[in-house]
Amino acid sequence: MGCVYSKKVRRSPGYEEPALLASETPFTVSEVEALYELFKKLSSSIINDGLIHKEEFQLALFKNSNRRNLFADRVFDLFDVKRNGVIEFGEFVRSLGIFHPNAPIADKVAFAFKLYDLRQTGYIEREELKEMVLALLNESDLTLSEDVVETIVNKTFNEADSNGDGRIDPEEWKEFVSRNPSLIKNMTLPYLKDITIAFPSFVLNSEVEDADMAA
Amino acid sequence: MNQSELKVKQSETLNAFHIISLSEGFDLSPLFEEKKREEKEELRFATTKPASSVISKLEDLAKSVKFSVRKSESRVRLEGSERGRKGKLSIEAEIFAMTPSFLVVEVKKDGGDTLEYNQFCSKELRPALKDICWTSPAENPTPA
Repeated sequence: MGCVYSKKVRRSPGYEEPALLASETPFTVSEVEALYELFKKLSSSIINDGLIHKEEFQLALFKNSNRRNLFADRVFDLFDVKRNGVIEFGEFVRSLGIFHPNAPIADKVAFAFKLYDLRQTGYIEREELKEMVLALLNESDLTLSEDVVETIVNKTFNEADSNGDGRIDPEEWKEFVSRNPSLIKNMTLPYLKDITIAFPSFVLNSEVEDADMAA
Repeated sequence: MNQSELKVKQSETLNAFHIISLSEGFDLSPLFEEKKREEKEELRFATTKPASSVISKLEDLAKSVKFSVRKSESRVRLEGSERGRKGKLSIEAEIFAMTPSFLVVEVKKDGGDTLEYNQFCSKELRPALKDICWTSPAENPTPA
């Protein structure tokens, strides 16, 4: 095996240049660089390979690498665009971009739909909605009677499933969200607008300085 | 159950997706903040107690800390009497009915200093509401 001579430092797979990411997301170049600092921290917490593994994601979200959560799994899977089981830097920035206050609403609506389409059938089925409600109740240590859960699920479905075929399709979801805008409130992280202020403790490194860090 | 006591907001009704969005799995802010969850500005919790219980708990709390109370059917506003760093601290709680036996309460800072609000939430508000709302397993010392 020969050595590969490269002009720049060896980067982890999935690394994309900040300038490119800034041009294709709502972030500025310095914001992407700040996200790189964050990404390095998250991706080295358990396995130091420049990639965010599920356990590292769980550790970051819940302070517990073993804490399982249906919704965190969905977020992780959607961030893992290439479906190779890890979140790479490019995927991280592009997915977070959808949560930026300036991201197109249509992107947020579509992302939310995919989040809730648990089995990725292209529809949100009644069973999936019920499963998610139960998962939320379970996560919160709250038990509601079967009747109440059914009432909640039915009420929601009746509102959203306008053609009554027992599942919510992307069009119905779009209409439903337009009537209930707060449904995609969790798709916006306001502080993404001030990322460089949110990390005063991080030194913003330029690309040249990063040459000192091993990938 | 007095369903007529509570009006769901006319423009938007609460549904299962609102409940699901309460999940910690969707809350990415811990990736960015060192702060613990309790220090966030907006507090949302669910309860199976009737709205009247929530309102009377808030009224009791207000009395104990000498805050004034203004309430309507689904909103309670608490205001401090002393001027803090940014004026009087005021907090608004809004109650949404999913079903007669399942409510979501959203508490927000309405005015005043955020730090004082956060302290009020952790020292006064959360303890007062502890037995009517659920806490996530992460906040409980005992395993789920």
